Amino acid sequence: MEMKLDPPWQRALEQIKTWARVNSPWVIHYNSGSCNGCDIEILATLTPRYDLERFGIKLQGSPRHADVLICTGPVSLQSRDRLLRIYEQMPEPKFVVAVGSCGISGGAFQGCYNVVGSIGDVIPVDAYVPGCPPRPEAIIHGVVALLQSLQKKDAAPQSVEE
Amino acid sequence: MNNLTLPALVSLLFFPGGLFLLAGGLVYEYIDRKLVARFQNRIGPRWFQPLADVIKLLAKEEIVPNGVHKGLFIALPVIGLASTLTAALYVPMVGFAPAFSFRGDLIVVLYLLSVMTLCLGLAGANTADRFSLVGATRTLTQLFSYEAPFLLALLGPAIVARTWQIGEINLYAQNNLWFVVMQPIGFLVALVGLMGKLELPPFDAPEAETEIVAGPLTEYSGRGLALFRIGKNVELVIGLTLVAAFYLGGIANPLDFLWKTLVLLLVTAALQSLFARLRIDQTVGLWWRAGALLALLQLVAIIVGQMIRPLIFGG
Repeated sequence: MEMKLDPPWQRALEQIKTWARVNSPWVIHYNSGSCNGCDIEILATLTPRYDLERFGIKLQGSPRHADVLICTGPVSLQSRDRLLRIYEQMPEPKFVVAVGSCGISGGAFQGCYNVVGSIGDVIPVDAYVPGCPPRPEAIIHGVVALLQSLQKKDAAPQSVEE
Repeated sequence: MNNLTLPALVSLLFFPGGLFLLAGGLVYEYIDRKLVARFQNRIGPRWFQPLADVIKLLAKEEIVPNGVHKGLFIALPVIGLASTLTAALYVPMVGFAPAFSFRGDLIVVLYLLSVMTLCLGLAGANTADRFSLVGATRTLTQLFSYEAPFLLALLGPAIVARTWQIGEINLYAQNNLWFVVMQPIGFLVALVGLMGKLELPPFDAPEAETEIVAGPLTEYSGRGLALFRIGKNVELVIGLTLVAAFYLGGIANPLDFLWKTLVLLLVTAALQSLFARLRIDQTVGLWWRAGALLALLQLVAIIVGQMIRPLIFGG
């Protein structure tokens, strides 16, 4: 049920929506088979020291409330279906950030008998944060870069240098 | 010290009722979040944060999951928000006289505020998700535990003022010694009861994100979640106004409203950051063993005091 307004109003509405999206990204965190190194860094990112509430970033428990799925690790056979399910439970518009080397390429687990591959092989990824593990600053930078790409309407995935 | 009045339509749509209250709710949510952040040695959200959250949620896709009653799923947030907005018409918002008023409106307001919690509980019970169900059970359990003490605590001033009309209690409170001095126990129970009503941290077992994801709202996304959040914020403003009007010497003008509700908000924010979450059985135990007993004690003290007073002062 999309309502269409006159072009200038529609554009203004889109701008307001984008503004709200960029300023209020709620994240959900899923470990699809990582060694826990990246997860510890993500938890450190969410502590008062880095205080992500400054940017409006909030950790949500329910995928239904989240906008950004922060995913770590290679995708194992066991977690593949769960990852897909969490991704599909999130309401549109949704974005995925792959954190850590394993999420990008499979990393140290590449070619393992129980590993499907990288996160990008299973679900579409919008931003990659390299590192083993990446520092909290890099994770923040990754999410912020994703949000800036939203503002530029540049949906192409981009890599973020640490 | 009479309060000002407003025309009915304005009061319904704009001033105490509609838009103003929505905006006020967002402002109070921001202040609450910022205060808690500062207490936790963080910088905290930016001033437009609650607004951005709400717009984003409203612009998001709303998923209606399988196994729910679709009509209820869509209607419950609206009913919850509507009931809290209606409750605002009977309280002296921002120092103006209540837009509508009749004998016994105190009871109506308390029940309208409970409808919000009831909608939350029904919304959780409506979905097939186990986390929502556990959350709904906890929400309703908590409703039954804080409701009686909170009501008893608000009855104290009503009995002393000899009226059940919020506007008149407000006037009485303005012209007499502050009720917080006369009935300190009642004030404590009312303030903590308000925190229970709003499911703020020590009493947030119903939406404990570390155990049951997001409680009754687990399956809500987009519009429904946004409406429930706005409803909670509006309830916060109304609750603070009620407690300030009853216990902090009434609300005579906008300035009075601002500083009294903000002081209350400061206290609740401090309590939120001081205490860890109580288990649901501890919450119920606290309310029925301590809260209800204290409130009853206060009530007995008031009644005995009123009986003795004519004997001493010969009134």
